[in-house]
Parts: sequence; C-alpha cells; structure tokens
Amino acid sequence: MKTLEYDVLVVGGGIAGGEAALNLANIGYKVLIVEKELSIGGKMILLSKVFPTLDCAACITTPKVSEIQRHPNITVFTGAEPRKITKKGEHDFEAVVFQKPRYVDVAACTGCQLCEEACPVSVTDEYQFGLIGRKAAFIPFSIASPRAAAIDIDNCILCGACERACPPDCIDFTQTEEEFLVKIKSVVVATGFQLFDPLKIPRYGYGQYKNVITSMQMERELAPTRPFNTILRPGDGKMPDNIAYVLCTGSRDKSVGNPICSQVCCMYSIKQAQLLMGALPMADITIYYLHIRAFGKGFNEFYAQAQEMGVEFIKGKVGKISEKENGNLILRYEDIEAGVVKEAEHDMVVLSVGILPNRGIDEVFDNEKLKLDPFHFVDQSDILASPAKTSIDGVFVAGTATGPMDIPDSILSGGSASAETTSYLRRRN
Amino acid sequence: MEVEKGKTAKYLKEKRPVPKEVTEHLKYFTKTKKQLLDALKEGDKTVPQLAEELKKPKEEVMFQLMSLLKYGYVETGEIDDNDEYFYYKIKSNGKNKS
Repeated sequence: MKTLEYDVLVVGGGIAGGEAALNLANIGYKVLIVEKELSIGGKMILLSKVFPTLDCAACITTPKVSEIQRHPNITVFTGAEPRKITKKGEHDFEAVVFQKPRYVDVAACTGCQLCEEACPVSVTDEYQFGLIGRKAAFIPFSIASPRAAAIDIDNCILCGACERACPPDCIDFTQTEEEFLVKIKSVVVATGFQLFDPLKIPRYGYGQYKNVITSMQMERELAPTRPFNTILRPGDGKMPDNIAYVLCTGSRDKSVGNPICSQVCCMYSIKQAQLLMGALPMADITIYYLHIRAFGKGFNEFYAQAQEMGVEFIKGKVGKISEKENGNLILRYEDIEAGVVKEAEHDMVVLSVGILPNRGIDEVFDNEKLKLDPFHFVDQSDILASPAKTSIDGVFVAGTATGPMDIPDSILSGGSASAETTSYLRRRN
Repeated sequence: MEVEKGKTAKYLKEKRPVPKEVTEHLKYFTKTKKQLLDALKEGDKTVPQLAEELKKPKEEVMFQLMSLLKYGYVETGEIDDNDEYFYYKIKSNGKNKS
C-alpha cells in the first residue's frame, strides 16, 4: 500500500469542504481532498442560479473548483473514499483511502469528448437526474472538475471504440482499485447531504406520473447546461404553462422519518418560480406551502418580489396527486386558511424535496466514536462556542454534514472548520 | 502482461465478461435510435407524433429523443400552433450515419 503524508484530510469536495481546504492550503498546510464523485463542486456546481441574488451558480463554483485543482498545497482524489480513519494520538491520524479506477489517465485527458462520440452505449445520466441519457464513456458534466472523461464500467461493452478515438491514448482499461495509507494531523468531515427520495411518498405519484419531477430535476431544466432544449414536461415534451410546487416533500414529516425543516426548500422554490416566470412568461406558478421560512439576509424581500411577480402562494397541504389522461395532474389539498379540501389542476408538478444526511461517515472512524445527532447528521459537540468541533478532538465538521443549511452558511461553516483546524494544528501538546 | 496503449479493452474483457443485460440494453437503444431517426427522415415531428408512430410511451420517446439531441443527431425545430409541442428534425450537419 502506497503511503502519503498531508497535514489535513478533507472528506468531501463540495463547497464546504472546498472552502475549508482552500483556507488551510492558503496558510501553508498540505491538504488532501477525498471526493466520492467524479468531480468536485458538490451539489452547488449542478445548480442553475442561487437565491436571493440570482447569481449564476456555475459562475461562483467554477473559479473556486479550478483554484482548488490548481493549488500547489491541495491534492484531489475523485472517485475515492476513506474506508478507515484511526486516531493514533493528538495530531496523528491514519486513513486508508480507496480510489476506484476511472479507466482514464486524468492528467493526459484533454476533455475533447471524442470518446463520448465514439461510445455506442446510452444509459441514464445521473448528473441530469435521470431526465436524459449519457454515454458509458463520458465527461460527467461540462463544468466538471477535473474536466476529464470516465468510463462507466458497469455499462461498458468493452468494445474499445473510445480507445480508438482517443487522440492522447489516455483510456486505460488495465487500471484497478488503488489503496493508500494517508498520514495526517487532522480531519475535516464535509460529507454533505443527499436529497429525499420522493418514491417514499407514493401518493405523490413520483416515478409513476412522469410530469411530477423533483426540484433538482427542475434545477437542471433551468440550468444553461439543461437536458432539454427548454423547460419541457418529461412525460411528453409539452411546454408547461401551469406549474405547481409542493413544499416540505420529505421534510417536517414524521411519517417519512424526517421531522426537521430542510431550511432551503422555501427559498429555492421561490427562486425557481422567479426563473420560470422569466423562461415561460405566460406560465402560472403556484406554490403550496405550510409556512414560508424566509429567514436569511434578503430572503423576505426575495419572497415579496416573487409575490409581486405574480407567483401564487397557497397555504395548503397536498394529500394526493393523480394523473389525467392528457398528463395533467390533479392536486387534492387542504386549504389551511379556508379549512376545506380542494382540488386543482396543473400540467406539471415539482416536489420540493428535502435534505437528508449522507450516512456512513461515523462507521469510518475506527477507534474513536464520531457522534451523530438524532437525525444522523454529525453532532456538533459545542455548537454555540465552537460549531466545527465534533466528538473527536482533531476531527472537525463543515457544511451540511452538520444539518441542512444554505450556500452562504455552508461557506461560513467551511471557514469556521478551517479556523478551528488551524487552531488545533498550532496547539502544542 | 504486456499492455498495448489504445487497445486495453481486450485485457479487461478476459477478466470481466460483459453482462447480458448491458448488451441487450445497447441493442434496444440502437434499435430505438434507428426507428426515431427513420421517422424523422420523413419530416419534422413532435414527441406525441413520434410516440404514436413508434407505438411507444411518450415519456420513453422524450427520453430517447432528448438523448439524441444531446448526442448531435437531432435538432429542435419550430413550436406547434398552440405553443405546446416542439417539432424535432434530423440535424442538418448531423452525424446521422444510420
């Protein structure tokens, strides 16, 4: 097993982990980022615009990820995961890191996409959240970092067409899984979040009714690197003109095991509603909500702006969605203010799905316990005075690994984790 | 094992046979692609028109057609008179080799 040495291991290369890594690298620490996906940038790099400023998400993320990739003090492993982290003493950790084969020499790949063109296979594109296909030899998405091809070996027919098309001969099917022993002095956990899977609420018809989509799918439809030529219904390609949002899908809902608020769904739905009114000027947008939580800087003004633009807000709990023959959807909901059950027809429904923890990081710690909170996010042992601290001295936490939060808060949290890591590293025993 | 650069797929093929469902999936995609492109050769069509002609669910036609749009075989044409459905057509400088 190859042995490597760094000052800090950052688990997760999203915006929080990236921010922590950059701060630490800028003051001279050697950092290893271990990212499980094929690109760093986390969820943010896949978004269209961000609230409440409507700045382009890619315009903020791409310079950041490229700074991370180019930083002399940062090494990035993509397609990699720590499988064991052992604390041997203060400022003395050992991690076993596995890296899956990408079957592409990333340093040699120019991102020319000739392999993509040559590949005959078409499978579902997970980076477009299932709305469209992708090849088995593929660049994950156009602003991926590293912008290098990868081979989806589970769907590859090993025809060799990609290899024959590759000008620098950078495709290599002889690559195998690699294992590294990494010696570090400190760890930052920035494992992020996963989105609620609406298949767990069958009465909303997701999966069955093709014009019921998730907010992340709508986010992709709104992004410049969108799957379709414009905003369309995945069920039949119709341009929608009456779109409904169902807030709190999988949040504040004990029946699906997630009683907490996901903090971002109100605002991202309001953002999408504003963007949709720009993209589809004739469309009606209705947001079914329980409470609008517009608590951050500029959020309430952003909410008011959506109301002024004509977005309709209905305080109502959606009980059931059913489909008409033409693909339109009937929402049966409780109008909370009127106290009656009503029905409304829409031609597309967006489920504003909530935020759940990414599980499993606690099991990676070998001899000390990384405590989780009751909702399986990483527990902050001193949340008010030292929010990046965990139950293990020398292991810090950043971003949504601690619980749902928005982008500015994730970046702040990444900053806080880097400051506390620095303080730990400079503390003499 | 001596490995020749640019011809490494065969080494993995020996170790890791391609599952049957993967080749079946490829066959299905290739067939659907041909059907869609043949239908579009006759003229520009919308997703519901293609679905009716191919006797396939509209959502499947949408998925495959949008994939072909991404892969550069197809391009977007005009929208219909009701401003509902776009017509799609074979890409004029396209890669339609079928």
